[in-house]
Amino acid sequence: MRHRIRVGVDVGGTFTDFVLVDEERDLIYTGKRLTTPDDPGDAILAGLERLVRDAGVSVQALDGVVHGTTLVANTLIEGTGAKVGLVTTRGFRDALEMGREIRYDLYDLFATRPAPLVPRRRRHEVAERVAADGTVLEALDPSDVRRVARDLRADGVEAVAVCLVHAYRNPAHEQLVARVLAEELPGLPVSVSSDVAPEIREYERTSTTCANAYVRPRMQRYLERLEARLAKLGVRGPLHIMLSGGGITTVRAAREHPIRLVESGPAAGAMAAAYYGSLARTPSMISFDMGGTTAKMCLIEHGWPARVHELEAGRVRRFRKGSGHPLKVPVVEMIEIGAGGGSIARVDAMGLLKVGPQSAGAEPGPVCYGRGGRFPTVTDADLLLGYLSPDYFLGGEMRLDRAAVERAIEEHVARPLGLPVHDAAVGIHNVVNENMAAATRMHVAEKGRDPRRYTLVAFGGAGPVHAWGLARLLKIPRIVCPFGAGVTSALGMLVAAPAIDLTRSYVARLASLDWARVETLFAGMETEARALLTETGADPAEISVRRAADMRYAGQGFEVTVPLPDGALGPARLGEVEAAFHATYRERFGREIGDVAVEALSWRLSASAPVPNVSVKFGGQPTDAGEPRKSTRAVWFPDTGVAPCPVLNRYALPAGLEFIGPVVVEERESTTVIGPGSRVTVDAHLNLLIDLEPGRP
Amino acid sequence: MSDFDPVTLEILWSRLIAITDESAAALVRTSFSTIVRESNDYATVLMNADGDALAENTAGIPSFVGILPRTLKHMLARIPAGEWRPGDCVITNDPWMATGHLPDITMAAPIFHRGRLVGFSGSIAHSPDIGGSLWSADCRELYEEGLRILPVKFLRAGEPNRDLFDMIASNVRLPEQVLGDLWAQVTAQQVLARRLTEFLDDAGMPDLRALSRTLHERAEHAMRKAIEAVPDGDYRSTILADGFDADETRIECRVAVHGSELLVDYAGTSRQIDRGLNSVMNYTYAYTVYPIKCALDPLTPRNEGSYRPVAVTAPEGSILNPRFPAPCNARQLTGHLLAGAVYACLAQAIPDRVIAECGSAPSLRALFSGVDARGQRFTQILFASGGMGATAEGDGLSTTAFPTNSGAGSIEAFESLAPVVVWKKEYRMDSGGAGRHRGGLGQEIVIEVRSPEPVRLSLLADRQKYPARGLRGGGDGAPVEIALADGRQPHQKSRTMLAPGDRLILKFAGGGGFGDPRQRDPAAVREDVENGLVSREAARRDHGVE
Repeated sequence: MRHRIRVGVDVGGTFTDFVLVDEERDLIYTGKRLTTPDDPGDAILAGLERLVRDAGVSVQALDGVVHGTTLVANTLIEGTGAKVGLVTTRGFRDALEMGREIRYDLYDLFATRPAPLVPRRRRHEVAERVAADGTVLEALDPSDVRRVARDLRADGVEAVAVCLVHAYRNPAHEQLVARVLAEELPGLPVSVSSDVAPEIREYERTSTTCANAYVRPRMQRYLERLEARLAKLGVRGPLHIMLSGGGITTVRAAREHPIRLVESGPAAGAMAAAYYGSLARTPSMISFDMGGTTAKMCLIEHGWPARVHELEAGRVRRFRKGSGHPLKVPVVEMIEIGAGGGSIARVDAMGLLKVGPQSAGAEPGPVCYGRGGRFPTVTDADLLLGYLSPDYFLGGEMRLDRAAVERAIEEHVARPLGLPVHDAAVGIHNVVNENMAAATRMHVAEKGRDPRRYTLVAFGGAGPVHAWGLARLLKIPRIVCPFGAGVTSALGMLVAAPAIDLTRSYVARLASLDWARVETLFAGMETEARALLTETGADPAEISVRRAADMRYAGQGFEVTVPLPDGALGPARLGEVEAAFHATYRERFGREIGDVAVEALSWRLSASAPVPNVSVKFGGQPTDAGEPRKSTRAVWFPDTGVAPCPVLNRYALPAGLEFIGPVVVEERESTTVIGPGSRVTVDAHLNLLIDLEPGRP
Repeated sequence: MSDFDPVTLEILWSRLIAITDESAAALVRTSFSTIVRESNDYATVLMNADGDALAENTAGIPSFVGILPRTLKHMLARIPAGEWRPGDCVITNDPWMATGHLPDITMAAPIFHRGRLVGFSGSIAHSPDIGGSLWSADCRELYEEGLRILPVKFLRAGEPNRDLFDMIASNVRLPEQVLGDLWAQVTAQQVLARRLTEFLDDAGMPDLRALSRTLHERAEHAMRKAIEAVPDGDYRSTILADGFDADETRIECRVAVHGSELLVDYAGTSRQIDRGLNSVMNYTYAYTVYPIKCALDPLTPRNEGSYRPVAVTAPEGSILNPRFPAPCNARQLTGHLLAGAVYACLAQAIPDRVIAECGSAPSLRALFSGVDARGQRFTQILFASGGMGATAEGDGLSTTAFPTNSGAGSIEAFESLAPVVVWKKEYRMDSGGAGRHRGGLGQEIVIEVRSPEPVRLSLLADRQKYPARGLRGGGDGAPVEIALADGRQPHQKSRTMLAPGDRLILKFAGGGGFGDPRQRDPAAVREDVENGLVSREAARRDHGVE
């Protein structure tokens, strides 16, 4: 598969970003438009037309468009999805709402839970029961399903979710329900748990299936319409959709399983970071994306972002685990904390300085925007410390009001703390960096790793401003600040490969496992995966398949995902599989436990086509002629205090240039801050490589 | 004055809490104990060289609030500080020194930095087994309840104490898992120690002395300010509970608020009992302080200072301060009542800051043990909860525990580990206490035994006679009901044999309502009726809504 001209489109909450890569001419073009929330396709179409015009190519010449969107996540957060009916096993209609029966905040007596995606009156039961081993305890009578179908029709539901107990083990009853519903309610989208998330644990599986049903009608309409509009415009190449797991897929697959798109934007960001890291030849990276409201960190090993199989969406309290709907979908593993440019600084009841997670967002935004923001934010502190220019924010489109910031920090932070305004600004900057460092440290430690082995890849508006301070706290020796930080996610879509992740649950101890059954499960998954990838245009000979299993010591409640050895598995290879588990367990937890049986719960298959061989060179030539040095201004650093610091124009830095901090490098959508003694190299792709310990080999 | 500016202090404090959280994460992820996982029955604590708590893990549960430093002081009394070497780790599960029953294992290890003792890492976790009678309430004295370990070195300079290992392994049902969990605690404490020395290096501090003083002062100050906001006075309440057979439990509670000090006294409470319902003083203390912290000062991180302005007393020989060797295995059946007693007092002063009584105070547990069809031994606890009490702000959460925070595991997972089938697990209509805000609903669970052999059921329940009471005119929640499908009634606090095919029906209690039911928004009543949470009759009777 060779794509010469491709476009990545990332629809975010505020902006829709575009990247066009023309491999033949070795050119790259970028664009940005305000998102059109009523129909995101409007901005996509308009932006695309402008982009091809800028690039001097015709729409017909496009070999493909890759699209990622926040539509799924927003639908869950805003509660604007479809009217869904749930069909479940008799006695279990409340599983969806009871959830894990846990208080996510131990000390808040008034905490609330998210409303269930399907209210109780739309949760219908059928008489049937499958046991844990898959045998049928109570057979399902189709006439019972017809009764439910009548109720669903009378109620006017727009989509149906089906989740029966132990259906991950034996899907026959669910399939029967789906068949009867298709007869009785033709045209209504039906999401079935053994298809959407065939994994043990009824709450999580039901929640995922209901969420899929909930977003499906809207996504179907949206994707159908977008595909039609692109075709009408003259785009002949296929439209592909970005998945939360970092791969891309077909529109058909996305329409059936839209829930797998829930984190497509952030996943694309991580894919872009992995790509930039590979350009800079750094296999182990932490991608660091700091925007207006949040900071997101992701570990990347050997060029692949870490992935997990569960996330939460639609949280009542954004950064509180347990306050949202669990979704069992493959997703790039990211930690997200409430630390962004808009995070608000305040003094708490203890007289201590707190920063975030409350955010001034884009509206009213930080005090310095002059749009009515009253409370000082991280961006405001960054302005006072000299990191941001009052005259060159967003390339000079917005002037920043320094005097207003000084007043706000004085009133809300400095005076209550009894500190000078400057020290308060330093405090805000340090506290937010420390918050991000703590979260990163914890995440890295949970994986049994050491941050000092990693390179930080910084992007997002505030990422390059804080990367140097964060790296110092984590003792990370090296930072990469990619060129074009403003459209990173859109670029990530073009470096992602067609991919699919499938799962089957089969719980058994390794010693008594039916290996033939395991091989059958894997064979079924592989057939399904290959069919889908071939549909995306992948060459069947180039598809690579990886197999893994979720395992644990019998009796534990948490599983680790263990990569399985290649080739057919059988009793003869038990030792190898056990060894793989022990190795993974030791890596994560630093020890093994002897004499305890090992059990497997879920079997996972990931298949992908080769990563497109994209070259994003930016020509290696500065895009601005002239002197790199713009000016000198007073900038604060921990070891030197406030001192004069050179300010450089990023667009005038040629490949191969080297310089030593302190220095501030400005570009339109961000500013890179480099402290004293660090060495900066501009690489052949115009990325900034920052070496914090240049003395060391 | 403080030695630290507020910015530095915020950074250092947050980092200490993050260190205990990281330690806790290591413990949970490697633990075998379902109770650690589903019930969050664990804690990790950083203590200074004097043995005072500096930081506790964020998600720790109320049972362990402020207990580890007390245990450490008992350990130090038996093994003086000078005898703790690097790599040592001391263990105990004595209920009086530690957390009030034998299954909880408490460990502490010294942390050395540049050759000096700078603090202790501590951890508590509920063991998968401790020998004895399994988890049951009907023992007559402590000795029946399992193995008791007085403070002794589990590790000496990093080397396992083999004699102790063998002794534990030969007295418990699941030796690999029990020892595996002890190692999980050791790992968690090693993480804590390693991070602390990095922290001291980064911060350029020789030890924790100055920082401890400041953190304790700040936390104490915050708690005192919160207490000052409560009107001075003597507030009293009485709580009755089912207790054991004819011996009902009576809790007499007096909360005395005076300036920035708060005293809780339980004079007049029932005498200790020769069944496992006794709550030792440490446990009584923890379950008294926790609800106070929730209502008065929920946001400040906890450390030794938080607890200084609060005193808790109970007469020796009472069910809230029993003498050795009183049985105490099911002490939660008494300890969980204290939140309701304290809130009934505080409601007289600050009704908008507390909640009505909760259906799962105390929690209802059913433990199944026996042999499955393959001849393998199993022991599984059913975790599920009744409804929480309503508040001035809103309805109580349905099927959620308070004051404990035990979650519910998956029924599919439960059925793959034990030979039972759960036929029903759903909200119990009309179980929430009526009120301007409704109490949370309880649930009904129906479980059938499917093993070839009889299964032993151990029930740990209460609230059959005494439901969760409402506040400010709110109605009571529905009481607990327990029966077999054939009509037999198993004892709520004893062991019963269930035959294959027996079906156990558990109805969990609802929470109390808050405020006058007639003032409930009729739209909310209709919504509840439409969703089948409240019957039409109850809507008419309690709320006057058709």
